This record gives sequence, C-alpha cells and structure tokens, in this order.
Amino acid sequence: RREKREKENAPTKVVVRRLPPSLSPEEFLEQIAPVPEHTDFYFCRPDMSLGSNAVSRAYINFAKFEDICLFREKFDGYVFLDSKGNEYPVVVEFAPYQKCAKKKAKKPDPK
Amino acid sequence: PDLPQMVRAERPAWQEYIRKLLYKDLSKTTTEKVLRQARKLNWDDPEVSSYMTKCIIHVWNMRYNNIHCAANLLAGLAPYHEEVAIHVVDGVLEDIRIGMEINHPKFNQRRVSMVKFLGELYNYRMVESAVIFKTLYTFITFAVFLEANAPNILDQPEHLFRVRLVCVLLDVCGQYFDRGSSKKKMDCFLVYFQRYYWFKRQASIWTEERPFPMDIEYLYRDTLESLRPKLQLCTSFEEAQKAVDELEKEIREKLASILPIQDTDEQTE
Repeated sequence: RREKREKENAPTKVVVRRLPPSLSPEEFLEQIAPVPEHTDFYFCRPDMSLGSNAVSRAYINFAKFEDICLFREKFDGYVFLDSKGNEYPVVVEFAPYQKCAKKKAKKPDPK
Repeated sequence: PDLPQMVRAERPAWQEYIRKLLYKDLSKTTTEKVLRQARKLNWDDPEVSSYMTKCIIHVWNMRYNNIHCAANLLAGLAPYHEEVAIHVVDGVLEDIRIGMEINHPKFNQRRVSMVKFLGELYNYRMVESAVIFKTLYTFITFAVFLEANAPNILDQPEHLFRVRLVCVLLDVCGQYFDRGSSKKKMDCFLVYFQRYYWFKRQASIWTEERPFPMDIEYLYRDTLESLRPKLQLCTSFEEAQKAVDELEKEIREKLASILPIQDTDEQTE
C-alpha cells in the first residue's frame, strides 16, 4: 500500500464543540463576532439520535494561524446559553480531520 | 386512559428513498448500483446533501458486515461531492469522541460500528494514517490517569470497552501499517497500548472471584498476534511500563541528537 507523503502542515481547522442544540448558525456567528478571517465555515445541527446529549458544533478554517490562539483563549470554555437559559460550556480545539473543501468550482457530476 | 400514541417517524418519500438505498440496498454486490443511484440525487438541494451526510454517518443502521460498503460508496461520491465526504469524516470523528464523553453502554454497538467505519474510511483512502493514530491514542489517553487511585470517571477500572474499540480499529486497518514510518508509528502505539491494557488488567477490582474477562483478554491477544506475530507481549504492568520508559528514553536521545538543545532540567515528554 502506497501512501502519499502526508503533509504535516500546521493545523488551521478548528472545531467548536458542545454548542447548545437550539443555537442557529447565524446566532453563533453573531456571538463570536467579529469572526476572524477564515476560508471555511460550517455548522452542524445536533444529532438527535443522541437524545439529551445532542449538541451542535461549528468548524472554522482560519486564514491566519495567529488568530487561532486568540480565538481559543476567548472561547474555549466560554459558556453559551440556549433559549431556556441552560448553560453550555463549549470546547474549542483543532479538528482531528484537517481537510477542507477546495473553493474552486468543482467538476459537476456527469451522473 | 389516554395513552400517548407511539409516534412513528413520518418521512417524506425522498428521505425514505435515501434510507432504502443506504440501509436496505447497499451491499457488497450492489455498491456500484447504489452509487449510480446516489449520484442522481439532487445534491444542489442542501436538504438532500445534509440528509445524505447524516444517513451515511449513522452507519450503525447498516449491517455490521456491510460497513465497508458505506466507505466504498463515500469514496465514490467524494470526487463530485467533496464537502459531503469531509462532513461525514468530521461527523464520524465527533461521534467517536462524544461517545467517550457520554460513555453510556446503550451506545456501545453504535460506537463499535463507528470505529469500524473509520477504519474502513482509511482503507478506502478517505483519511490519512495520522487520523487513525490520533484516534487510537485518544482511546488510551482521553480522561485516563495511569494511577490506581486517580478518578477516571470516563474510564473506570471495570470499563474495558476502549480496549475493544482499539482492537476493532486495529483489526480493520492495522495490517496496512506494515512498512516504513507507519510501521514504526504502529510499533510505538502498541507499546503504549500494552501499558494501557495492563493498567486495566492489574486493577484491584479483578479478583479470584471476579477475574478479568476472558473475552477481552482473547480479543487483545488475537489482535496483537495477528498484527505482530513475532511480538513478545508484556506480561505485567511493570514490564509494559518499562517498555514505555525505554521507548521514551530512545526518543529523547534521538531528539537531543538532532535538535540543538542545551542541557535543561526540564524533561521533554
């Protein structure tokens, strides 16, 4: 099995875990505003099959490495509230999977 | 009395169709066909692509022996729907992590399926070996303190489930870490894994009346033996700890020889 040489670049993709399940992506962005320069952002709705443990999460791919430390300092352990006032201390860490979608127009599937 | 009616999930037809494709039709012999059908979905509709993402992540709804088909399918979709592929991998890794945080037996089968899926994603080249190693090390370190009296709330002495998860992942893709740097990395991991295993095994809760479960012991031995037939397994925690100490000493020396570090009192871990 041949494996491509793995790039050991500095990680840039960060995940914010354990966000309130009712939080919308817009509210999230509002709460962390001003959002540092980034090349990718996506938000995952809670997985309801986890029942009461269901939480949301967000991925941000930072443009500048320096911004990550500042962001983490500010938001790791930061408490988000849901609409009922329940507290959700969130976890900010590097995403274990660093790949991001290329922004180039992808080839359409000829199907 | 007014009993609440059992509510069955009413799903729109397109969702039922996706579920049928993934959870009923998908098998070794139909993967190509299912892939062709899946590619015809209206992926431009964010509802469709996010539902598809979710259903692929929920791989425990498939037959355990068909999980590799899901990885194969995703690899077939990835060239056209890169975002879906990335979101699935992110979702799988999150599920593995939150499984350790929730740590409830009702999710055990789901967690086993998920870990198998991750291994298959490696086999279909959807993730690199670094992701596999990160996951393996997370299993043996997350909220683990190698001290008999330290509280391991998320990994109590009688919980042996993480040994099982490590073995599942090693059984699925460990055989490919057989040369070059990935072989070396695997050898290192096995040193640490043996220490974790012996930490579990030597816990004082295991007694004559309540011996360490045989199925876990066999699983552990079988996995290591098939991976490294010539490896002399450690036979006690002390021995496993010594192996870790030697490995770390070696690494420190190697680091010191290539890095221009002057003597400091701090030890690098």
